[in-house]
Amino acid sequence: MRLAGTAIAGSGIVRFGDHRRRSTAELARDAGLAALHDAGMTLADVDEAFVGYIQPGSLLGVRAMKELGLTGLPVTHVENASATGLVAFREAAWAVASGRARVAMALAFDKMTEMAGGGGRSRGTGRDQLDATILPAAYFALWAQRRMHDRGTRPEHFAAIAAKNWNHGARCPWSDRQADHVVTAEEVLASRLVAEPLTAMMACPADDGAACVIVAAEDLVRARQPGRRLVRPVASVLRSETYSPGHTFLGPVVGPATMTRDTAAAAYEAAGLGPGDVDLALCHDAFANEELEYYELLGFCPEGDGERLVETGATALGGAIPFNTDGGLIARGHPGGPTGLAIVHEIVHQLRGEAGDRQVEGARTALAHLVGGGSVCTVSLFEGTQ
Amino acid sequence: MTARVPVEDGYFTVPDDPAEAPRLLGSRCPACGEHFFPRRHVCARCLAEGCRDVLLGPRGRLWTWTYVHVPLFAKKDARVGAYGVGQVDLPEGPRVQAILLGGPGDFRIGMDLELDLETLRTDDDGREVVIFRFRPVDGAGP
Repeated sequence: MRLAGTAIAGSGIVRFGDHRRRSTAELARDAGLAALHDAGMTLADVDEAFVGYIQPGSLLGVRAMKELGLTGLPVTHVENASATGLVAFREAAWAVASGRARVAMALAFDKMTEMAGGGGRSRGTGRDQLDATILPAAYFALWAQRRMHDRGTRPEHFAAIAAKNWNHGARCPWSDRQADHVVTAEEVLASRLVAEPLTAMMACPADDGAACVIVAAEDLVRARQPGRRLVRPVASVLRSETYSPGHTFLGPVVGPATMTRDTAAAAYEAAGLGPGDVDLALCHDAFANEELEYYELLGFCPEGDGERLVETGATALGGAIPFNTDGGLIARGHPGGPTGLAIVHEIVHQLRGEAGDRQVEGARTALAHLVGGGSVCTVSLFEGTQ
Repeated sequence: MTARVPVEDGYFTVPDDPAEAPRLLGSRCPACGEHFFPRRHVCARCLAEGCRDVLLGPRGRLWTWTYVHVPLFAKKDARVGAYGVGQVDLPEGPRVQAILLGGPGDFRIGMDLELDLETLRTDDDGREVVIFRFRPVDGAGP
């Protein structure tokens, strides 16, 4: 179903990075205030909030919201691993589209510096050793190795994607990684090998951060923000896995590739759009090989043609379909929950024409994609209008 | 002979004879015949209830693999500085992700692997706590 009658009222971010001296509530407050200021609102204008994080602990979202005020608004917690922020956004968008709320906030925060080293929820040592000990780099590397076997992909392709995203990040003021030189594929390849064929520079950093997006009824945004370009979400879809033979149930896994294809197809259908209509895309590039796969699974080229997109520079700024214009998870960073809202924050800048020297010329339509825990996928589509 | 116990019940067998390969504990759907690992009650293919316990393996074929140059179990167990990880297709159907025994040059896609048990530690009763791994079948090297 097409999302109708909603628009982005505002967005805000606390630059991702090392914030170990600040509390998550403080990070959330600053991101929330930034979005409220951008929207020209206070919490009194907000009818409902959806708050996401993946760190352990219950009700942290409600507690963080109190830093913005105590207005009695309903607060719902959302958790879908790396997809958390974009799923919180989906709930906010649909809360407004349904008419239940005139203004809804999606807020997310996390501190990966506190999660690193196995600080997550334990399900008992035995179960953990069966299920959770394998490093994320490893299961994405398993995907990369199979791709290389099937398609003749070379590590240079993954390195070129990573280098592109490092260089995009250097153009984005709130990107965590700000390289002081043009990063080359050679440099990425020469960095420490983590899990064959993935190197350290092909992986996202462990970040802290917070981000917030406020969705409101379109007429309200038009009335309050005359003269500003309107950014409207037109589809927001969430799917979990579909069973097919050979499914891997135990262990942290990438999840079936069909999940991204099916979710994107549902989003395109809902919006009445196709990949050819999209001017830029932001996707889950926790590891560079993922982005290559998503070129195909999101429909931007036929299966097996992803390498050609890398080789021709089509997905770099200035190319036909720029991917991860803010640096993606690899450079802008990936604190977990907030990542999806950082993606929307970048799309808002691009579709308002306010993305500075990383502006995609004439950008009108953008796609946001995230996967979470190998078990969920979410895709949203946005249109910018005068 | 030292007694051996699984790190978690319900996932794999621990044969009395150490020379005997362990098996994985899976399920088979009584309605459609689909196999699963680990065990489950509801069939993921046809949604029938009451899947039956079945032994799977011990052999499988390597679908994909990697070699990780970061300690296993992160800080909790830095004894293993690097290790292989693979996804192994069992003849019954399930694809199982597991740690592989062997060095970085020992694996290739499509090779035959066999289940094995690795001792993680000795518990307070002097029993070896074991977990399942896959290792290349002798003679199946790259």
